[in-house]
Amino acid sequence: MSTALAALEEAYARRGAPPASSKGPTVNRTPVVGYVGADMPVELLTAAGIRALRLTGDPDSGSQLGDRYLGRGVDPMARSVLTRLLAGSFGDLDRIVVSHDCEASLRLFYALRELRRVEPGTGLPEVYLVDILHLPHRTTARYNRRRIGEFAARLEAWTGRPLDLAGAVAAHNERRRLLAAAAELRRAVPARLTGRQFLAVANAALSVDEHIALLERLLAEAGRLEEHAGRRVFLSGSDHDTAHVYEAVESEGYVIVGEDHSFGGPSPEGPVGAGGLDALAEHYHYSGPTAHRATVSERAAHAARAVRHCRAELFFAYSRTGDEAPAWDFPAQRAALDIPALLLERQDYGRADLTALRKEHPCAV
Amino acid sequence: MRSVKSLATAAEAGRHQREWFADLRRRVAAGEPFALLNADVPHEIFRTMDIPYAVSQWWASLVAAKQRSGHYLELVRQRGYPDYSEQYNSVTLGSAFDPEPEAGPWGGLPRPDIVVGDASGDVTRKVFDIWGHEPGVTFYPLESAAENEVPANWWELMPHRWEQAVGPARLDLLTAELENLVRFLETTTGRRFSESRFREVMALVNEQEEWNRKTRALIARTRPAPLSVVDSIPSVMLPQWHRGTEWARDIAKRFYEEVRDRVDAGQAACPGERARLMWIGRGLWYDMGFYQRFQDEYGAVFVWSMYLAIAADGYVRYGDDPMRALAARFAAFTDQLYTPPWSSEWYVKEARLHGIDGVVHLVSDDPRGSYFTARALEAAGFPVIEIHADNVDARTFDDEVVKRVGQWLENVVLA
Repeated sequence: MSTALAALEEAYARRGAPPASSKGPTVNRTPVVGYVGADMPVELLTAAGIRALRLTGDPDSGSQLGDRYLGRGVDPMARSVLTRLLAGSFGDLDRIVVSHDCEASLRLFYALRELRRVEPGTGLPEVYLVDILHLPHRTTARYNRRRIGEFAARLEAWTGRPLDLAGAVAAHNERRRLLAAAAELRRAVPARLTGRQFLAVANAALSVDEHIALLERLLAEAGRLEEHAGRRVFLSGSDHDTAHVYEAVESEGYVIVGEDHSFGGPSPEGPVGAGGLDALAEHYHYSGPTAHRATVSERAAHAARAVRHCRAELFFAYSRTGDEAPAWDFPAQRAALDIPALLLERQDYGRADLTALRKEHPCAV
Repeated sequence: MRSVKSLATAAEAGRHQREWFADLRRRVAAGEPFALLNADVPHEIFRTMDIPYAVSQWWASLVAAKQRSGHYLELVRQRGYPDYSEQYNSVTLGSAFDPEPEAGPWGGLPRPDIVVGDASGDVTRKVFDIWGHEPGVTFYPLESAAENEVPANWWELMPHRWEQAVGPARLDLLTAELENLVRFLETTTGRRFSESRFREVMALVNEQEEWNRKTRALIARTRPAPLSVVDSIPSVMLPQWHRGTEWARDIAKRFYEEVRDRVDAGQAACPGERARLMWIGRGLWYDMGFYQRFQDEYGAVFVWSMYLAIAADGYVRYGDDPMRALAARFAAFTDQLYTPPWSSEWYVKEARLHGIDGVVHLVSDDPRGSYFTARALEAAGFPVIEIHADNVDARTFDDEVVKRVGQWLENVVLA
């Protein structure tokens, strides 16, 4: 087995746990910011010298407080994140930054803001919203540029130093390039990475530099990766911030060779241009297309392209209870595809009822 | 149980709505453009340009009142879309899939040429976008932006200091989008946008809502309540969909005068009033009789719904730049109702103003949540009961709710 893959899997297993640097007096350590959502311009966090940690939930640990504060109509992934924040599962975060990538993230921001106001005993850190919008119009582009500028200024105010944006953009672009190359390993026939493994490769809890180093090693060791010959599945729909559903699907003999949610990678595809904040705003304006912000036509066209690219044999759309947007995309996606397509709707967080999959598309492997 | 209305203005508003819709169908049949608009987008532009329009949520409420929401949701399901998601808009979408549209309420909803909705939530834009795939239909989306820090007392700021309440980023965005919408409509319909007519429309809206403010104040201070929400909802909401017209301004005035006359005459919705109830949430359109179920047995009257209160506080915008003032009406409209601290602080303010004894909160299975509203009201001393249902999808309503509310009245509110 590739030693780099083992290291990435180990780092993935650590995600969501407090980074070593998040303990102790703030003055002596790198600031740690927990962030939520796919629309986060992480380049700015890196440019500010901040250790950024994408906050994730846990389907196995309950979500009682998140359910109480957000209500059961909100995506349970966000409810779990809030529950874990209130339990201190992420260590001592200096700030929380939330992007408006979906309604659940926005509702999480509002809940955090209000909890700080009316229940200060919860001890939540300052929370900030980065409101990037996605209609394909110049009006939206101007709004996004303003919001990106405001966020950059807020980061400088927090850290007391100017941003190194060029260096951060270069580092994240390099990570994107390497992740795109790693993604090709699972698109090979047979796949050289499972979906579960790629989830670990893309979301390992590492600094950008550490991540780049391990990705380079992974690609160098590609010849040592196992082959995975299961039926090739493209997974569409809800975000998967844990490997539960991947493991359930792949334990049936399928291999997830591509996905369109924000924990897959790399997203958004393509590098950030050299235009500073302008380029960053444009990049995140056109990120996706995610289930929550793209039209059904955009999603269908993307599905057709991605399925061909991944050489998928089965299209598998997954819509979690409280995350209904993917179910609206499915009819147009199915119509755009020339492979079998299946929708699992109203699924519990971290669970997949695979009865229909087994019945209609049994895996021969 | 059917609701029983007693106000002449409620009856007049209902009569007008039927006549207006029949006329709209005639105009559309004669070839005029027709727009279907979400409730929270600026209708005033269409009013100014004399483009016939109907409101998606109004149509859904009519369908629900006719007990037909299941039929339209089934049509949505037959197309492969979920029938359990965003029913308030998807019921109306179902009418686009109806093979017999004329069999719908009041002769059926004409096929729109233009649909306009905001990109709020994860699904609203998709629902309207799917409308836009129907032959001859164009979807014009507006953004739904959010703000980091907001002053809590929006209802004090909005009439004149809306720039401070909403913030310049959202106002700049929506103002620009609306300018573009005007040009889009000029281009696609051939209609013209008159600035002086626009100013007239904006002035009429402010006048209409000022009458609603007076009516709200009158009901809030009168014991026993001169009317219940069964009368106030149609009296305020049907004219709301005609705001910017002289008829809507004038019926808002007549509504005030009729309520004033009832107060002067000592008429009450429930002469034996023992408890004043607040209904938080959208109207329970398939069972408006619900609101009168507790009057005879418990003397409990629903004196408050958001419809009159938001008309009173949520629409009035003054200012020299009418397009920016219009943007200020809608750039944060849903925050007024559903986003703390705006929503929670406002409900507490309204509960105090109306001398509320108990709050019934309709919680739908969507992301708007209820905790901070209930928390704020309970912290201010108002008992709250939550009932879980969708307001247009009768399949989600549990008949046990009536019993549960009755027990709550007995054991908590009247104890």
